[in-house]
Amino acid sequence: MNAPIIDPLQGDFPEVIEEYLEHGVMKCISFNRRGTLLAAGCSDGNCVIWDFETRGIAKELRDKDCIAAITSVSWSKYGHRILVSSADKSLTLWDVVSGERISRTTLQQTPLQARLHPGSSTPSLCLACPLSSAPMIVDLNTGSTTVLPVLIPDTSNGLVPQSRNKFSDGAPPYTPTAACFNKYGDLVYVGNSKGEILIIDYGTIQVRAMVPVTGGAVVKNIVFSRSGEYLLTNSNDRTIRIYENLLPLKDGLRALDDLDKTANELDGVEKLKAIGSKCLTLFREFQDSITKMHWKAPCFSGDGEWVIGGSASKGEHKIYIWDRAGHLVKILEGPKEALIDLAWHPVHPIVVSVSLTGLVYIWAKDYTENWSAFAPDFKELEENEEYVEREDEFDLVPETEKVKESDVNEDDEVDIVTVEKDSAFSDSDMSQEELCFLPAIPSPDIPEQQDKCIESSSKLVDSNHSGSPLSDDAGPNGRTTNHASSPLEDNSAAEDAVARKRKRKPSEKGLELQAEKETLKDDTFV
Amino acid sequence: MASGATPPYKPYRHLKTLTAHTRAVSCVKFSNDGTLLASASLDKTLIVWTAQSLSLVHRLVGHSEGVSDLAWSSDSHYICSASDDRTLRIWDARAATSESAHVKTLRGHSNLVFCVNFSPQSNLIVSGSFDETIRIWEVKTGKCLHAIRAHSMPVTSVHFNRDGSLIVSSSHDGTCKIWDSSKATLLKTLIDDKVPAVSFAKFSPNGKFILVATLNDSLKLWNYSVGKFLKIYSGHVNRAYCLTSTFSVTNGKYIVSGSEDRCIYLWDLQQKTMVQKIEGHTDTVISVTCHPTENKIASAGLEADRTVRIWVQDS
Repeated sequence: MNAPIIDPLQGDFPEVIEEYLEHGVMKCISFNRRGTLLAAGCSDGNCVIWDFETRGIAKELRDKDCIAAITSVSWSKYGHRILVSSADKSLTLWDVVSGERISRTTLQQTPLQARLHPGSSTPSLCLACPLSSAPMIVDLNTGSTTVLPVLIPDTSNGLVPQSRNKFSDGAPPYTPTAACFNKYGDLVYVGNSKGEILIIDYGTIQVRAMVPVTGGAVVKNIVFSRSGEYLLTNSNDRTIRIYENLLPLKDGLRALDDLDKTANELDGVEKLKAIGSKCLTLFREFQDSITKMHWKAPCFSGDGEWVIGGSASKGEHKIYIWDRAGHLVKILEGPKEALIDLAWHPVHPIVVSVSLTGLVYIWAKDYTENWSAFAPDFKELEENEEYVEREDEFDLVPETEKVKESDVNEDDEVDIVTVEKDSAFSDSDMSQEELCFLPAIPSPDIPEQQDKCIESSSKLVDSNHSGSPLSDDAGPNGRTTNHASSPLEDNSAAEDAVARKRKRKPSEKGLELQAEKETLKDDTFV
Repeated sequence: MASGATPPYKPYRHLKTLTAHTRAVSCVKFSNDGTLLASASLDKTLIVWTAQSLSLVHRLVGHSEGVSDLAWSSDSHYICSASDDRTLRIWDARAATSESAHVKTLRGHSNLVFCVNFSPQSNLIVSGSFDETIRIWEVKTGKCLHAIRAHSMPVTSVHFNRDGSLIVSSSHDGTCKIWDSSKATLLKTLIDDKVPAVSFAKFSPNGKFILVATLNDSLKLWNYSVGKFLKIYSGHVNRAYCLTSTFSVTNGKYIVSGSEDRCIYLWDLQQKTMVQKIEGHTDTVISVTCHPTENKIASAGLEADRTVRIWVQDS
């Protein structure tokens, strides 16, 4: 986007809390494909969609039937649909643009995680991981569920008897089993309690390959990078492991068929292991050898260069950032509130974390302005350069300065119309219209507030002050309740419940202190 | 140097003159979908016309002082106007009556607001003012998200680039600066001479170049990532007013600009040669706008003229 003039010398991971978002008690978050919208599931059963550019609420998905906490949120590929799983055992599919509910499916157990099929723009399938049974594929149109195998049975072929519409296949309840789709959704990768990664073809409900995780500890999370080239597992042995995906991104099934043929002389588990070794190779392991921390919500950065994991300790809000080679580059420390969810922005070096108190913290780079931005001829040097002066530098009338030629050929053709494709999103299907933004409809002014605001416009007030009742904000913030008759006195109380953004520390300091901070900030501008 | 197969240039001819404003017209803009035309005037009103039949749809009243600039949202539903009464107003262009069109007022500037633009996603509005600041507003709530002390003299124009990540601003202090729109931080200073004042700056349709007008009768096309200008267009007069210029891409690539000698100038983008000088207005042509799909130009004249004139090109 603005890549040509952004300083490439700055590292690509966040460093400080930039802002926090507040709206009820949020439990889980998910970015849309381009990171322009952030969906957050709340403890009261609603789902809020934030416009990440304005840090304001773009839409609220309210369901009168669902009042239990949301356990996970998932976007469809081009952002038209959102799937929400809730503690009341339901899966609800929403249409984002209209804010209408499309379908609601009730399972037999609370789904801890539900992911929409990533390959299509209007998916009807989703992968749900219930609280204590095997993950299943749910058809959202018909409500039918297909339980996926989590253990390789001792039969000689890898087939598992089909069990439709039943959640129990006779085995005892499992700890929550982790599962995820691969990039285009033709395979499901399951991490089971024996410490094995199973690659499953959910169409035929067949385990096609198996990769044993070193150490055999229970796999808690399994996640692909956005590019589909790397897979991450988080195990009970407090280690995060990165695997390289050797299968082709598309046509994974066909590649598996080919591998099948080559391993024909083996049988059963040995065959699956042999095929598995051709599907994934262990790349790196991350652990904190000093504190032996358990990890929570690990994931990749948008470009797959960084891996982050949250610390699962209570009362601690720490985010560890490693580069893919395995070096720990940063530990982000937030306020003393446990971390419950984490997400890296698909494009920018921004990390979003959810704390137990329901606040969503946005971590970004601590941006210091580049000095070369202030004058057109300034250029930042990486190191000292010796200046060698010209022969006639100190002449009264130097020869060379008389002719100042522009070294740009003025006759060159200039193209003002063609747009360059964004390489990070090369797999965009151009025929599909991606939903990047929800239309911002200005909410009408409330008549009485207009008179009160005239005083503030005569001062150079930076109306970022969220605490000021005299600020320019008027009107409801996308909520459906009618605030039309709220008098000025009620605003400060209402503001706590209403979505607001605040700067840096979430403290309740008075206007004076904030004004001080703002003038200090202003002085740094030219 | 032109290739042999280019068709001969067909000049624009006068189609209609719209006389509905009672004071100088300060700005005209076609909507992005090409169905409407809006004009703003020092008579404190804005008028919305249909682009096809050029009949008056709305007369938007509400500002307490003259209006200097207006901008359309990307979906052509909303208009934002910048006024000398220090406020910006958002109007619903599809409202049933002119009285019900006013949606919102954005307050915060401490001096007259001179220029305004929507972001391409139209969830943000950027405005520049005589109080030397640039403000970024959230459309939905009207909240001011950032107030940037951008310049040391009045800000003459602000514009978002194609994906909304950058804002270019120009000012009477002679500088043209590029800002990161999400962080509101300065990314680059394009021009830093005290003289002449920069009166207008705008991104090209693909966001790679910036068209900059300075009050020494020149228009330059800059490649901002390199920091060098590629083309100069001259021949017109621009010494005092902030004339808006624009790109015409519907039938060949041209630069169109008003001029203080009461004419409209069109230059070939690549060759920099003036291809037409349209006469007709009786005062400085302060603003020009090109229809997004048809070969139509609308222009606005100052106090001695007070008209909006429409010019078309036969294809």
